Amino acid sequence: MSNLLSVEDLSLKDRSTSNNVLRNVSFNLREKEILGVVGESGSGKTLLSQAIVNWLPENLVISSGEINFLGKKMSAMSENELEKEIRGKEIAYIGPNAINSLDPTYSVGAQLLEKAVSIDKGNTSKEILKQKVISLLDDVLIPSPEKRFYEYPSQYSGGMMQRAMIVDALLSSPKLLVADNITMPLDVTVAAQIIKLMRVLRDKFNTTIIFSSSSLPIVREISDNLIIMKNGSIEEQNSTNEITSNPKSEHTKELIKNTPKIWSENINFQNIETKPILSIKNFSKSYKVRDKNKFNSFYEVKAVRDFSIDVYEGENLGIIGESGCGKSTLSRLISLLERSDTGTITFNGEDLSDLNKDKIKNFRQSLQLILQDPYNSLPSRQTIGRIISEGLLIHSQLSKMEIKEKVLSIMSEVGIDQNEYNKLLVGKSGSFRQRVSIARALILEPKVIILDETLSSLDQKEQEMLLSLFSDIQAKRNLTYIFISHDLAMVRKSCNRIAVMYMGRIVELAKNEILFDKCGHPYTRTLLCTIPTLDKNPYDKNLYLMDGEPPDPTEIGTECSFKSRCPHFKNNKKGSTDMGLIEIQSGHWVDKCGVDCGR
Amino acid sequence: MHLAGQFVRRILQGVVVVLITTFLIFSILRIVPGDPVRLIVGGMAPDNLVEEIAQKMGLRDPIPVQFGRYLSQVVQGDLGNSYQRPKNGMMGQGGDFNANMDVEMAEVSDLILERLPYTLQLAGLALLISLIISFPLGISAGLKPKGFISKIAFFISSVFVSIPNFWLGIVLALFITIKLGLLPSIGYQNFAYTILPAIVLAVETCPFIIRTISVSFAEISQEYFIKSGKVRGLTRNGVIYRHTLRNASIPLLNLLGIQLSTLLGGVIVVEYIFDYPGLGQLTIYAVLQRDFPLIQGIAMVTSALYVGLNIAVDLITYSIDPRLES
Repeated sequence: MSNLLSVEDLSLKDRSTSNNVLRNVSFNLREKEILGVVGESGSGKTLLSQAIVNWLPENLVISSGEINFLGKKMSAMSENELEKEIRGKEIAYIGPNAINSLDPTYSVGAQLLEKAVSIDKGNTSKEILKQKVISLLDDVLIPSPEKRFYEYPSQYSGGMMQRAMIVDALLSSPKLLVADNITMPLDVTVAAQIIKLMRVLRDKFNTTIIFSSSSLPIVREISDNLIIMKNGSIEEQNSTNEITSNPKSEHTKELIKNTPKIWSENINFQNIETKPILSIKNFSKSYKVRDKNKFNSFYEVKAVRDFSIDVYEGENLGIIGESGCGKSTLSRLISLLERSDTGTITFNGEDLSDLNKDKIKNFRQSLQLILQDPYNSLPSRQTIGRIISEGLLIHSQLSKMEIKEKVLSIMSEVGIDQNEYNKLLVGKSGSFRQRVSIARALILEPKVIILDETLSSLDQKEQEMLLSLFSDIQAKRNLTYIFISHDLAMVRKSCNRIAVMYMGRIVELAKNEILFDKCGHPYTRTLLCTIPTLDKNPYDKNLYLMDGEPPDPTEIGTECSFKSRCPHFKNNKKGSTDMGLIEIQSGHWVDKCGVDCGR
Repeated sequence: MHLAGQFVRRILQGVVVVLITTFLIFSILRIVPGDPVRLIVGGMAPDNLVEEIAQKMGLRDPIPVQFGRYLSQVVQGDLGNSYQRPKNGMMGQGGDFNANMDVEMAEVSDLILERLPYTLQLAGLALLISLIISFPLGISAGLKPKGFISKIAFFISSVFVSIPNFWLGIVLALFITIKLGLLPSIGYQNFAYTILPAIVLAVETCPFIIRTISVSFAEISQEYFIKSGKVRGLTRNGVIYRHTLRNASIPLLNLLGIQLSTLLGGVIVVEYIFDYPGLGQLTIYAVLQRDFPLIQGIAMVTSALYVGLNIAVDLITYSIDPRLES
């Protein structure tokens, strides 16, 4: 079969610095092939994608080489020809930034129709094109597409916007689809759905696809052939099977080694048999949102529902769930930044529900929160020493010298050089900033630290470093950690016990090894089957991957909220839909309905 | 989209704003020195007469009582009668006291309605001129923030913003009317009399509009949904007309609402210089004569216009960008 696209010796140069940002890239692409491009951020995979669609940033220019599309040299085409025939027509592009890809002031349907009309150049009636858009929205599994057609981008979730952008690309029936990092901002469950969708669409529309991502396990799932990129050039290219089973280059070997292992690596946690340090009973929180469709009326969003858990001294508790499941609300409730509507909280045997001011002030010292975004959670105009000393300035009567001494010792404990004391955070990396956040939390000698997605903005290497820092500090100070995260691989490595949250409730709570090997709830299984890993996953995606999105939090009733997506419920249409945790085995709690459908 | 609920809520809020403004003006007029009765009866009148008339007019009652009385009139659609202006248009002479006590006084609503069209015409024309200048300059400056036109736009804005309006008014009257005889400038006889004052006002508003258009155009152009229009296969002009312009128009509409409100309420200096018979000129005389009902009426009408315009602007922006409606 002939080549659809061939890239010969392509190099890109930055006009201002004359550095080559892409060096001597060559590959061929056959029709209907899916080519995976794997590389870390900065490896040039996005630039390669943009060069292929002829949509480079203004400061970049092709310094050598050629891109041939259907046997025609792209460099020989005029800008007019590229605009009329190629870009967005024969070659379509989908990027990672789906959520900002459409104008917020028009409905999604209107903008997809705008593109359809622009390509069609007035040959087909608008009504027919509209039907085409709606049927494509249906193809990418957007629920009730006739209704969603008229909704605005702000009413779409991230996953749905990515689907809409896939429709946008498919409207022109492109020969080549360039999908650049499209799963990056999505939850793993949604990302897995998108990957599945891409494969179905390839078969249906006979499209050739270039699929780039920083995650090898994700790309492996979809691609026939692979290119591994590093620093703007190709490290290795071969068939996907060959590269993953028999890597040649050092970089690829390292890449495979650093990909998180879930099942193939033994984990070993000590049994924690202590008394609970923190007990939460029946926490619930609803928010009132103004109903725009009625005059002066509100509806309720139930963010956290009937949440109870005991946290044992010295343990690492993981709380996982998709975005929007109420994790962050929960962390604000536990840290008493917000009051829960119902329920009690007991810390070290002391009931805090009576809101006694002194008790709460003590509690705030003992429980610290470290947040996700290391850029916006630290003040940029204060010196590092001042930031870290903040807690002491509020809570202690120490003299200035004593405070400085303490700050310096904490700084060295978390691995910050003491010379940084009088410096600002300008230009510091994410992991350095998180170390400052950790030091700021540690200075009050807390007993419990809540880590709300603290590691999710960091790359693999930085994560590892901070995780080992956490366990060092824990050993020294007998700390208790609550990891709140959507990252199952991270939780697998670091937590003794894991609670799975769905729509504001715990649906399963178990020890790490039990949860990963013998989980009891169908939702946990769908989460586990989507983990991107090179391991053999015991949970088969074809059986357990769920469709759709979480239900609207304003519309959840008293029965099982997973019902609408539960693969088991769909297949059997029976079983209990009651809620409430029951203990099926010592320390392994599963939601009632999950026990029935779980096996 | 249900704008009706929003609309009702905003109108109610607006009524409250107008009431508060009116009450403030009402009270301040009565607190600051300057007795309107003295001006009505004339400087030669005896003090006891002044007091007697003031009592009769209710001006010695507590302010809240006076305000309640005034409001109950206003609710019935009656803004009261002027203290100073008789219906036939003849002004009383200050010297002979009691001269105009028997004459029927002009109704405030008539006085305002008579002047309002002139002010609307002036404000409308001024806004039109400034939009004609600002749009091309602002848009091209916004699309190429480092380009030549951007520099020109900046230059023009700086010059316009530094010209005092009274000076420009006098200079234009001198050159265009007197030296060149192109356009008339003092008083009002036909539409041509509106042009020079409108130009002066346009020069005042232009810099703000140019700046707003160019900044919001430059900002929106950086949005991903604009930049990615090219790779989605849309044409450059299509993206600019359908998306950049639409999104950039929201800050512009907000600015225009404020500018137009100011033009309607307070072009006092320019109307005075050109002796233009608008609301501004009426305000000046009303204040000089302590004509309480007239001042209150003008304040109420202009604040209602201000509130109404801003509600209209908000509703338009809601319909452009549904996210704003919350």
